[in-house]
Amino acid sequence: MSEEGESSAVPRPRRPNLSSPPAPPAEAPVPVEGRPEPDLPGARPRRATVPTLLDFFPAEDEKLTELHPFFDHLKAGRFTTTRCRKDGELLWPPRAVCPRCHRSELDWVDLPMRGRIYAHSAVLAGAPLGMEADVPFSVGLVDLEGAPLRLFGRIEGRPWKELAIGQLVRVEPYGLPDGRVFYRFRVEETLAPVGR
Amino acid sequence: MTQLRPVALVGGATTRFGVRAATWSELVQEAGRALFEAIPELRADEVDSLFVGAAEPERFAFQSHVAPLAAELLGVAPRRILQRTELACASGQSAIRSAYAAIAAGLSDVALALGVEKMNIPSMAEANTSMACVMDRPWDGPHGATAPPFFAMVAQRHMHEYGTTEEALAAVSEKNHRFANTNPEAQFHEKTFSREKLLRLPMVAPPLRLGDCSSMTDGAAAVLLVAGEHAKRFTDTPAWIRGSGQHASWHNLANAGSLTAWDGMTLAAREALRQAGIGIDRIDFAEIHDCFTISEIVEYEALGLCPPGQGGRFMLDGQSSPGGKIVVNPRGGLLGCGHPLGATGVAQAVEVHRQFAHAVPASRQVPDPEWALVHNLSGSANVHSLMVYQRGG
Repeated sequence: MSEEGESSAVPRPRRPNLSSPPAPPAEAPVPVEGRPEPDLPGARPRRATVPTLLDFFPAEDEKLTELHPFFDHLKAGRFTTTRCRKDGELLWPPRAVCPRCHRSELDWVDLPMRGRIYAHSAVLAGAPLGMEADVPFSVGLVDLEGAPLRLFGRIEGRPWKELAIGQLVRVEPYGLPDGRVFYRFRVEETLAPVGR
Repeated sequence: MTQLRPVALVGGATTRFGVRAATWSELVQEAGRALFEAIPELRADEVDSLFVGAAEPERFAFQSHVAPLAAELLGVAPRRILQRTELACASGQSAIRSAYAAIAAGLSDVALALGVEKMNIPSMAEANTSMACVMDRPWDGPHGATAPPFFAMVAQRHMHEYGTTEEALAAVSEKNHRFANTNPEAQFHEKTFSREKLLRLPMVAPPLRLGDCSSMTDGAAAVLLVAGEHAKRFTDTPAWIRGSGQHASWHNLANAGSLTAWDGMTLAAREALRQAGIGIDRIDFAEIHDCFTISEIVEYEALGLCPPGQGGRFMLDGQSSPGGKIVVNPRGGLLGCGHPLGATGVAQAVEVHRQFAHAVPASRQVPDPEWALVHNLSGSANVHSLMVYQRGG
């Protein structure tokens, strides 16, 4: 895969601020919510840790993944994915091989950093390990403006009851305590929501 | 296609579903005992193949290589095919489908399909974590993608596009819990859930409430499939497998098609019914995947039982209840029975055979059924698996 500078799909966005991490470190003890276990009184552990293999966030290092440019770009404020050089297919998530033509000649291209909520909900119970402290949190599918992609992601910035279909959100990189980076959506405060 | 041999499902049994004081292995043994009790003619040494539907034994029971473990627990020694099948929520049907394929192809004559899941573990957060890795873990997982918020978005879009109501969702749950009420193997046996009560339960993932979601459940089920010429030795009412269809559409949520029109299910159903040589109007009852109330509503539409967007109305009009167009989920569904991932698809097939044999309580017996359809979705409804059965005898 190669860089594709000037001919990117959309204008390169400005560098964002990496905000404070939402989740505890992967190795840190996190409290575990449980429900009563009538058949197992007292057997529920009060605390549990998140083992390495239960870490949801992807490997980012170049020693571990060919897709490390995605994370390098994200740290630099760019939201990117791969596009097949032969058939022009915009691939999400980023791929090492085009699933249509099975070639590995892919270019990194910038994606729009704004979009509109297509559907949304919230996790009010039943969060996985490492995410219990985030509850309640909102998620949604977002139509990126100017790209044929509808991405799933966490939506920050408003209580779940104040989100609406059609609302404008922007892509926001955020840093993990261990130095990795990931993305989420944040409601555009400057723009009024579009009614359902 | 080359000529396939006829395959009959000749019996089966399930454990009680629920929060069980039993391990993964104990559930397998319990299902095995129930199966051999249900089919006394079956000798363990004639079972030539075993297919074990198990979605996440590594995560829920910290156990891999589960097919030989199950064989040991069941006291069978497969000499043709021994295999585990994993397709998340459809792992059980996947075991049946594999046994069907092996027998139809002439590679097996007597095959067991067993489905099992142990989901209630000491840490529910860890169990939720296991459920979350059904999705595209590194790309959707970090956002908190689990089934409830995904199906909540399906419900939100269905409400947004078609005006479907919370009452319609609750009506699905009420119906399936009513069926489960008289099913002693159901997780919610002898529990009543009125529509009013369901609409007061807390939100899990808006607009879905607790009663809109199937449960974390422990359970196991097993069925016996045989080549056609052996069927009469085991049952008077074989359930002949007449068709099957499957469709995989996407995995990462960004590549999902329409949330409200499950075209993959429509295509899989069309293929299964084409093989069976019938239309959906011939199906007397259907065991379909109500992991969430909205799923059953969208599935009515995908099956062509009603026009797009009319699934809620179809439910509220009683068209999926006894006396309506088709009886849907007489076993009690995933909502009423619970949803032990690997066991669900097998338990649905057990219900098909029991309905054909008139071996269920009168309260859920479909009048003289001849054709049945079984459906499982898996993951984010990105895969649909369907089978069509015809009563023989």
